[in-house]
Amino acid sequence: MNLIIAGAGKVGLNVAKHLVSEGHNVTVIDTRQDTLDRVSNQLDVMCVKGNCASRNTLLEAGAQDADAVIAATSSDEINLLCCHCAHRIGVPYSVARVRSAEYADDLENMRVDLGIDMLVNPELATAVEISRLLRFPSAANIDTFARGQVEIVAFHIQEGDFLAGHTLAALTPKIRDLAMLFCAVEREEEVVIPNGDFTMMQGDKVYLAGTPSGINQFFKLLGRQSHKVRSAFIVGGGRISFYLVGILERLGINCKVVEKNEHRCRELAELFPHSLIIHGDGTDPELLTEERMEASDAFIALTDRDEDNLIISLSAHQSGMTKVIAKSNRQNYASIARSAGVESVVSPKLTTADQILRMVRGIQNSEGTGMTSLYRIADGRAEAMEFPVTSSTHNTGVPLKALRSKLKKGILIAVIVRNHRVIIPNGSTCLEENDSVIIVSCGSGVTDLNDIFTDNFGMRGWA
Amino acid sequence: MNYKVVLRVTGFSLFVEAAAMLLPLIVALIYREDPRPFLWTILALVAVAALLTLLIRDKRSRSLLPRDGFLTVGLIWALFSLFGAIPFRISGLFGNYVDCVFETVSGFTTTGASILTAIEGLPYGLLFWRSFTHFLGGMGVLVLAAALFPFLGLSSNFLIRAESPGPVKSKLVPRASHSSKILYGIYIALTAIETVLLRIAGLPWYDSVVHAFGTAGTGGFSIRNTSVGAYGNPAVEIIITVFMLLFSVNFAMYFLLLTGRVRQVLRSDELRFFLGMVAVSITAITINIAPTFERLGDAVRAAAFQVATIVSTTGFSSVDFNLWPEFSRMLLVILMFIGACAGSTGGGIKCSRVLVLLRSAKREVNSIIHPRSVSVVRLDGEPLSEATVRTTQGFFILYMFIIFGAALVVGLDNFSFGTTLTAVIACVSNIGPGLEAVGPMGNFAGFSMLSKIVLSLCMVVGRLEMFPILVLFSRNAWKRT
Repeated sequence: MNLIIAGAGKVGLNVAKHLVSEGHNVTVIDTRQDTLDRVSNQLDVMCVKGNCASRNTLLEAGAQDADAVIAATSSDEINLLCCHCAHRIGVPYSVARVRSAEYADDLENMRVDLGIDMLVNPELATAVEISRLLRFPSAANIDTFARGQVEIVAFHIQEGDFLAGHTLAALTPKIRDLAMLFCAVEREEEVVIPNGDFTMMQGDKVYLAGTPSGINQFFKLLGRQSHKVRSAFIVGGGRISFYLVGILERLGINCKVVEKNEHRCRELAELFPHSLIIHGDGTDPELLTEERMEASDAFIALTDRDEDNLIISLSAHQSGMTKVIAKSNRQNYASIARSAGVESVVSPKLTTADQILRMVRGIQNSEGTGMTSLYRIADGRAEAMEFPVTSSTHNTGVPLKALRSKLKKGILIAVIVRNHRVIIPNGSTCLEENDSVIIVSCGSGVTDLNDIFTDNFGMRGWA
Repeated sequence: MNYKVVLRVTGFSLFVEAAAMLLPLIVALIYREDPRPFLWTILALVAVAALLTLLIRDKRSRSLLPRDGFLTVGLIWALFSLFGAIPFRISGLFGNYVDCVFETVSGFTTTGASILTAIEGLPYGLLFWRSFTHFLGGMGVLVLAAALFPFLGLSSNFLIRAESPGPVKSKLVPRASHSSKILYGIYIALTAIETVLLRIAGLPWYDSVVHAFGTAGTGGFSIRNTSVGAYGNPAVEIIITVFMLLFSVNFAMYFLLLTGRVRQVLRSDELRFFLGMVAVSITAITINIAPTFERLGDAVRAAAFQVATIVSTTGFSSVDFNLWPEFSRMLLVILMFIGACAGSTGGGIKCSRVLVLLRSAKREVNSIIHPRSVSVVRLDGEPLSEATVRTTQGFFILYMFIIFGAALVVGLDNFSFGTTLTAVIACVSNIGPGLEAVGPMGNFAGFSMLSKIVLSLCMVVGRLEMFPILVLFSRNAWKRT
C-alpha cells in the first residue's frame, strides 16, 4: 500500500518503521529538513519537505495514489486540516492525532464533517489504560478486546502461588470452570504459548485471557485480589493527568497531583475540585515525604521526562508501594524499569502507534478478514489480535481438536465471542461465521485470520 | 474627573425624584392634607435638575470612567437624601433638618431606622413618602435612571454594579438597561402581589401599600408605633414573612425561573446557604423562645418573622425581640452581619460573600496541612479568581473597621455597649432596629446630632457596599492624572 505519514515525531517514526517492515511504500512529510535527513538515514522511505496541510505538499507526496494518510504532527489543527485536505484529494483513509481536551466534546461531529476516518488521542488512550490498571491492581498490564468483554491481563507468579511448580494439566481441575485461560508465558526474555505439559514457575509473567469476571475469580483463587485502589499519587500535571484525574474522580479514587508549573496547578484545581493539587517538584524526595506519598495506594509518574518518571517510580517501588505505574516513551528505558521491579510502564507513543497500525492493517485486509484489534504483548514478542470470522475464513465448523494439526506453531485461539457471549474454547468448539475470535501469536506477521492455518499459502511476511 | 457628564446624569436622576414625589403629593391631596411640602420640593428639584441638564452640555460625548461612576453614585445619593428630607422639614413634624435627613437616608438606603417616637397620627402623605423612599432605594435610583434614560450612557456595568447590592456575577441579558427593566419588572410585580395579598388579609389599602413598600425595599418603616405586631393579624405576619424572604433572594433567580432554567437556580450555592441558614435559625430560636409562648405555633411564627426581618435586613417586628433570651438575641445579631443574598434588595455582608469568606478560610486551614497545595475557591461550582476572593476579604475587613470606627464615635453619646454596637450594625447592614434602646420598640431619637450624621453615612456606605463611597475619600480619585 502507499501510505503518507505527516509529521516525523516519535509516533510518526514508530509507525513508519513498522509499516516499512511490513512491506508498505511510505512517504514522510515534515517541515524540518534535519528531521527528514535523519528519517531517510534510518528508514527506507521517501521524504517530502513542506506543510502537510497544503494541497501541493500532499500531491507532491503522491496523495492521489495513496491508500491512507496518517497525520501525527504536533499540532491538532494541522492534523485535522491535513486529513481534511487528503479527503478532498480523494485519499480513501485518514487518521489524525488530536490531543487537545478543548475539542473532546465535539470531536465525533468534527471527524464526520471533515471526512476523517479515525482520530487518535494518545493521552486519553494512556489515561484509560492506567485507569484499567488501577481497577485491577494485581495485573501488570491489561488489554481489552471485543468492546471490553474480553481482557488480556498479565501478572507475575510469586512465591507461594498455587500455580508454581505445576503443569497446566495438573492445574486444570482447579481452574476449569473459570471463564479464562493462560494464553502466553514470558520467561527470561522468551515467550511461549503454554500447553498441558508446561510447568509454571515462580517469576514467570503469565498472560491470561478471559472475561473480566473470570479473571477476577482467578485472582481471588490465587489469593491476590488485593484491596481496591482508593487513592492515587500522581506526579506531573500534563494532558494524561488531566484525562486520568477525570476518570479516577468518576471512579471515586482520591487523587493527589504534584505539578511544577503554578499556572497549570491553578488550571487543574479549577477543573478538579475533589482532588488535591500540589505545586512543587515531584522529583524532590522531601516533597514526596511531606505529602505522604507512601500512604497512597498507587503511584503514577507522568512528568514529561521519561528519566524522571523511571527514577521516581523506582524510588516509590522501593519505599514499598505496591502499584507503581510509569510513563515512558522510550522502549529501552521501559525494559530497564521492568527488570528493576516497576512492572507497569505505559507509553503514549506506542499506544498511538499501535492504534494507527491496527487501522492500517485493517485497511489492508478490508477485502479479507480484517483485524479489528491488535495488542503487542511482552514488548512485541507476541501479539494478541481480534478478527471477525467471515465466509472466506477457512476451516469453519471444524472442531478445534481436529484443527490442531492444521494450526501453525505458536498460534493460540484464545477466546471466541459469539452473539456477545464469551466462549473459552475447548477441543469440541468450532469457529462459526460472524464470530469474533482472539488469536495469540508468538512473533508477528499474522495479518489475516487465514494466516493461522498451515493450509493458507497467501502468506505475507511470515517469519 | 468628567464633571460635566457626572452633573448631567445627576440632573436627569433628580427629574426621577421629582416625578416620584408626585405620588405622595396625590396621596396628600386624596386625604385633604397640606400639599405644599411636596409642591415646593418638586419645584426645587425641577429647577436644579433643569439647571444641571440644560446648562451643562458637553459637545464631546465622553463616556464615564469608573471613578466618575462612583462620584455620580455618591452625588446622586447625597442629593436624593437632602432633597427628600425637605418635605419632612417643611411640615415641621420631624424635628430639625439633620433628623429629617437621617429619616430620608434611612428610607432610601432601606434601613428603616427612625427618629420618630410616635408615628401614628402623622399626615398620610408624609408617611407615604417615607415608605416610598424604601421602594425607590431598594433597587437603586441610578438603576432606575439607567432604565428610563438609556441615552445617558449609564449602561456601563460598573455603574450598575456600584449601586446593586452584593457581588453580582453577570448581567441577565446583554444590554444593561434591558437588564434593569427586567429586574424592575420583577420587583414591581412582587410588590403588587404582596399589596393585594395584604389587602385580602384585612389591611386597609393604604396600610397594604405602605407595608408592601417596606417589604419590597427590605426597608422596614411601618406606620404603626409597634410595627407589624400592632395589627395582631397572623395572616399579615405570615404574608410579610414570606415576602421578606422572597425579596432577600437574588432577583436573577426569578429571571432564571421565569425563563425555565430551574436547574441553574437549584445549583446556586448562595440560595441553598441562605435557605439553610434561615431554616436553622428559625428552629433554634423557636426552641429557645418556646417556653415563653403558650402555643408552639405562635413561637414558630414569631421566630420566623423575626429571623426573616433581620436576615432580609427589613426591620419590621411582630414582637419585641429585645426581650428574648440572650441566645436568640445573639443569633439575630449574627444574622444582622450576614444579611441577604447578593442581587436582592437586602443589605448586610451578603450570603455569597460569607460563603466565599468561609471557603477561603477553609482553604487557609488546608494549606497548613498541605503547604504547597493549590486550590481555588468556588461558588456555584465555578472557580472564582483570586482577585474576587481578595476583594471579598477586603470588603469584610472594611465592613468590620467601619463598624468599629462608627461605634467609637457613637460611643460619645454614652449609651450601653449593646445599644451603641447594634445601632451601628443595624445602620451599616441597613436593618433598622438593633437591641436595647434602639430595639424594635425603641428609636434613634435619643442620639446626638453627630451620631445621627455618622449613622446616616454608615447607612449610605453600607447600602452602596463600601467601595463606591470610600473611593471618594481617596485622594487618588481626585487627581487629574
